[in-house]
Amino acid sequence: MRYQVIHITTYRYDQPVAQCLSEVHLAPRSLPRQRVLETILEIVPQPAVMERRVDYYGNEIASFSIFKRHDRFTVTATSLIEVAATPPEISSRITWEETRAHLTLHPDEESLAAYEFAFDSPFVAASPELAAYGAASFRPGVPLVEAVIDLSHRIHADFSYKPKSTSIDIPLHEVLKLRRGVCQDFAHLMIGVLRSYHLAARYISGYLRSGAKILGAEASHAWVSVFIPGHGWLDLDPTNDVLPSEGHVTVAWGRDYGDVTPVKGISLGGAGQTVDVDVRVVPITGLPVPNNSASELLI
Amino acid sequence: MKISRTAAELKTEEQWRYIPAPGHWDEAFRPSGFPRHAWRELAVAIRRMGVKELGRRWDVGRQLIETNGVTYNVYGDPQGKERPWHLDPIPLVIDAAEWQHIERSIAQRATLLNAMLADLYGAQRLIHDRHLPAAILFSNPGFLRPCMGIVPPDGVHLHLYAADLARSRDGTWWVISDRTQNPSGVGYALENRLVSARTLPSVFNQCQVRPLVGFLEKRRRALQMLGAHQSPNPRVVVMTPGPNNETYFEHSFLAHHWGFPLVEGADLTVRDNLVFLKTLAGLERVHVILRRTDDTFCDPLEFRGDSLLGVPGLTQAVRSGNVAMANALGSGLLETAAHMGFLPGLCRQLLGEKLHMPSVATWWCGHLDARRYVVEHLEDLVIKPAHSRPGQNPEFPAAMSADQREALIRRIEASPEDFVAQEQVDLSTAPTHTESGLAPRHVVVRVFASWDGHGYAVMPGGLTRVSTVATSLVVSMQMGGGSKDTWILSSPDHTEVLPAAPSPESAPADPSDLPSRVADNLFWLGRYSERVEAGVRLVRALLPSLSSEEDFGRTASLETTVQIMGALGYLPEEFPEMSIGQQRFSIEHLLSSMVYDPARSSGIGWNLNNIRRVAWPLKERFSQDTWRVLQQLETELSTSAPVHREYRLVAQMNLLDRVIVTLSAFAGLLMENSTRGHGWHFLQIGKRLERSLQTTEFLQATFGDPPFDLDPAMQTILQIADSSITYRTRYFTTLRPEYVLDLLVSDKANPRSLVFQLEALLGHLKKLPGYSESTEMPLPEFLAAAALKKVTETSIAELSARDRDGNMPELEDFVRRLKGDLYDISDALTALHFSHLTSVRFAPVF
Repeated sequence: MRYQVIHITTYRYDQPVAQCLSEVHLAPRSLPRQRVLETILEIVPQPAVMERRVDYYGNEIASFSIFKRHDRFTVTATSLIEVAATPPEISSRITWEETRAHLTLHPDEESLAAYEFAFDSPFVAASPELAAYGAASFRPGVPLVEAVIDLSHRIHADFSYKPKSTSIDIPLHEVLKLRRGVCQDFAHLMIGVLRSYHLAARYISGYLRSGAKILGAEASHAWVSVFIPGHGWLDLDPTNDVLPSEGHVTVAWGRDYGDVTPVKGISLGGAGQTVDVDVRVVPITGLPVPNNSASELLI
Repeated sequence: MKISRTAAELKTEEQWRYIPAPGHWDEAFRPSGFPRHAWRELAVAIRRMGVKELGRRWDVGRQLIETNGVTYNVYGDPQGKERPWHLDPIPLVIDAAEWQHIERSIAQRATLLNAMLADLYGAQRLIHDRHLPAAILFSNPGFLRPCMGIVPPDGVHLHLYAADLARSRDGTWWVISDRTQNPSGVGYALENRLVSARTLPSVFNQCQVRPLVGFLEKRRRALQMLGAHQSPNPRVVVMTPGPNNETYFEHSFLAHHWGFPLVEGADLTVRDNLVFLKTLAGLERVHVILRRTDDTFCDPLEFRGDSLLGVPGLTQAVRSGNVAMANALGSGLLETAAHMGFLPGLCRQLLGEKLHMPSVATWWCGHLDARRYVVEHLEDLVIKPAHSRPGQNPEFPAAMSADQREALIRRIEASPEDFVAQEQVDLSTAPTHTESGLAPRHVVVRVFASWDGHGYAVMPGGLTRVSTVATSLVVSMQMGGGSKDTWILSSPDHTEVLPAAPSPESAPADPSDLPSRVADNLFWLGRYSERVEAGVRLVRALLPSLSSEEDFGRTASLETTVQIMGALGYLPEEFPEMSIGQQRFSIEHLLSSMVYDPARSSGIGWNLNNIRRVAWPLKERFSQDTWRVLQQLETELSTSAPVHREYRLVAQMNLLDRVIVTLSAFAGLLMENSTRGHGWHFLQIGKRLERSLQTTEFLQATFGDPPFDLDPAMQTILQIADSSITYRTRYFTTLRPEYVLDLLVSDKANPRSLVFQLEALLGHLKKLPGYSESTEMPLPEFLAAAALKKVTETSIAELSARDRDGNMPELEDFVRRLKGDLYDISDALTALHFSHLTSVRFAPVF
C-alpha cells in the first residue's frame, strides 16, 4: 500500500519568541517492508540553520534554529511511502525464559544490539508492579510470541483509551493505577512489563492509516517491538491490539518516547504556548511512482 | 636548663598526647609511638609550638578562610545555605617515595579511564570483545547516546580526573572512587595551602613542601591549548550551575585565578553551531568551556527533559567541533563503581600494563558468580547502587535484620546490574585538632590528574578529607567533615620547575565582557537597596506620630502620617470609615509590619529579600565585608516586634536608626569597593533611577492633595529626604513650599534632589558600551537627557503656585509626567541591555 503522510505541527505563542532551537524525528525509516519514496520537511518561518544527522538508533534527525522573532512556527513533514503487506512472523516457539537467557549471553551482534533495549530508560523502568501485571502472560514455559500477544490483549482490555487524558509527565506507575491513557502510555507500559522480565523491547513512533475503528490515527502513533531471537523484531500495537502490518508506517525507534519525540525544542521567551498536531495518512492508488526515490529525498 | 612545669602545663601536655586508634594505619605515628620519617619535622614543630600556640594559629587560619570567603554549600539547607570551609591545622604529610607510587598510579588510571571513554563512545571494542560486560554500559544512566561517535580534540575526553584514595591497615593505598565528570577540590586544595603555609610558615619551608601553583598554571595553559586549533587567542569560560551549587566557591575561585569569565548556562547561546557569550557589547565567541555542570544538565535540547540549566544546542556545537568541553560531554559514564573489578584486565588490554594501584574490592552483581559471592558474604560487604543515583545511599547488611537482608537480596536479584558490593573500606587515621586536644580521625585523600597536552600530570598535593567523629568511616564534606592540607615532600634530587608568569596576551578582560545577566542583576540591586533605604526613612519619619510624648523630638503628626501613607497607597480602603482608635491601630500595625514582616509586599524585609535574591548570583563580585553587612542587615531586621506597646515604638526607632547606619555601610561598600566598570554604572543607574522615583512619590504624597497646613508634611518629607539640616542651614526661615521644592527638585548641590539624580543617571548612561558605534543617541540616554532638561527648565514658582482650591496643579502634572519618563527610561534600558528571555521547553503532549 502506498501512502502520503502529512504531519503538521504548529506552535503558537502568547508573546513573540526571539529564537527557537528544535530537533525533529519526522523522516520515516527505510525498512525491508517499508520503502520511503520521499520526505519533504517544510518549516515556517525559515530556519537560519538546518542540519540532518543519523542518531544513535539509526533514525534521521533534523535540527534547526530560528532567530527571527515569531509568534508561531509550523513544521510540515510530507512523506510518500510504500508499505508491503507482509504478514507478521509469529511462528517462533522460543519461550520467554529462553529469550531472556539468550539476551544475557548475547552470542551474536544482533542480540547484543537488542540487549540494550532490555534496560531501563528515562521514561520506562522495570518495576515489581509492572512484573506483577505481566505475570498472567508470562507464565513459566510459555513461548514469547504467545506471551506478548496475550499481554497486548490484556492491555487493550484492561485500559481505556482516553485522548488528552495524560501527558508525558505522568509516570508509568500512575498509568498502571489509573488504567487509562493514550498510545504512548500503552507502549511504555508494555515495554515496562517486558523489561521487568529482562526482555528487549523498543518504542516505535509512527503513523496509522485512518479508519473508522482505529484509535490514534489523527495524531502520530506509537507501538512496541519485541526482540525474538532468530527471528528479529516483532511489532505489536497494544492500543489497537493488532500486529502491525500494512496500516502502520514506521518513523523512528528508540528506548522510549524521549529518544524519538517527533518535534521537540527550546524557545527563548514566549511564556504561553499552544500546540496543534495534525496528521493525515492518505492511501494513494494509481498515482505515478517516482522512479528513482533515493535521489529525490528532500529534507 | 631545667624546665619546671606547672599543673596547667602538665594538663596541657596530657591533652597534647596523641594516641593513634588501634587497628588502623596511622599516617603520622608508628605503633611504637614514634613519628614516621616524613612527619618528624612537623611533629617536632607542633610539639614545640604547644597546644596554645597551635590553637592561636588555628584561629588565624580560620579568619583567613573567612576573609577569603571559602565556603561550601550544603544542599537542602534553607538557612544561609553556605558555611565556612573546615580546615584542620595539621596537614597530612606524604613522603617523596610514596608519592612517586601514587603519582604514577593516578596518571596511569587517568590514561586508562580516558582510553575507556574513547572506546565506549567510539568503536566499543571492549563490549564486542567482551572485556567489559555490555550490561554495565547499557544499565548506566551516564551513558549518553547523543554523545556516541563524538571525538573530542586529540581524543581527550578526560581533562581533569580525581581519585579518592584510602589506606588500609597494612599501609597499602587503594582507590575508593573515581571522579571523571567535573571533579571538585583543586580550588579548595589551593585555598588550604594558602592558609597552612601562612599558619605554619617555618615548618612548611623546612619540609620543602612541593608547591601547587605550577599545576594550576599547567592546567590554565592546557585549557587554552584546547581551543588552539580554533583560534590563536581562544576564549575559555568556566560554566557553573550557579551559586547554589555546593562547590560554587571553587568555581569562582578558579575562574578568578585563571582570569576566565565565570558564566551560567543562560549567559551562553548557540548560533550556527557556534557558542557565544552574551555580553553588553554583543555576542563574543567561546572556544573552550570548562564545565562544572553535570553532563545531563549541559544541554536541555538533547539531554535532560526537566532542566533548563544548560545551553540549548551545545551538544550540536560540540559535535561540529566548534567548541571544546573539559571534561567532554558524557564522561560521567565512568563515575561508577561497577567497572572497578574489571580495571586490571582492561589495563592490560588497553595499555598493556599492570594496574599500579588496586581499587577497593568490588563485586558487580550483574555478574552471576559475583552475585553468588555477594549473597553468601552479604554481612561482610557494603551494598551500593552501581551507578550513582540521587537519594541512594550505601547499605550495610551487617547492621540489618534477617528480613531486611532477605529484602535486599530480592532487590539485587530483580535488577542485579544496578548493584555493586564492596569490601568495607578500612581508612587510615591522622592526628586532628579537636576540642579535647589531638585525636585520630579517618582520612581520605583526593588526588588530581590533568591532561597537559602530552600526558597526565598529577597535582603534587591533594584534598584530604577528615571524618567528623572518631568512629565514623564516613568522610563527606556534605555531611560536615573537615579537610587538611596535603604536603608532598620533595625528594632531595627533585627540582621544581615553576612555570613562568602568565603571558601578556591574557590581558585583563575587556569590561564589555560583562554578561548581560550580571548587568541586569546589578541594576536591580541598585534599585532594591535604594528602596530599602526609602522604606526605612519613611517609617522612621512617621513613627513618632504614634507616640504620646510631645517632646519626642520628631515632628510628624498622626494626620500627616495618614496623609502620606494614604497618598502612597498603603492605607486600606475602609480607612476613612474607621474610628480614630481603629485608625491609630491600623497605622501602628502598618508601620510595624513594614519593619517586622518580611512577607509584606514592598515592606522593608520584602525588599531586603529581593536584595539577597539579585545579589546572590553576583556573589563573587562582592567582598566578604559586603556579605557580612548584608547578613547583619538581615539579622537586625529578623528580630520580632516587642510585645509592650510603648517599648515597641522606642525599640522600633532604635532598630531603624541602626538599620540606616548598616545600610549606609552596605551602600558604601558597594560603591567604594567596586571597580568603575560597566557593572558599577549599572548599579548606579539603578540607584539613581530608584531614588528619583522615590522622590517623585514623596513629592506627590506631600503636595498632591495638600491640606491647609503643609508644614508638618513638608517637615516629614525633608526628613525622609535627609535634607532637614541642609534646609535649615540654607534658608533659616520657616518652611515654604517653594524652598522645599527648590531643595528637592532643582538644587544641583543636594545629593537628594531630582536634578542631582538625573545628572548622575545621564553621566552613567553615557559610559555604557556600544554607544559610540551608533551615531544615534540610544533611547535610555535620550530619555534621560529630555527628563533632565524638563526638570532644569521648570520654574519652581510655577510649581508651587496654588489654585483657588488650594491645589498645586502644576506640581501634580510635573510629578506625574516625570514618573512616566522614569519608567520609560527603565523599560528602554531593559530592552537595550538585558535579555529577559527565559527558555521554554516544547514537545507535543497528546
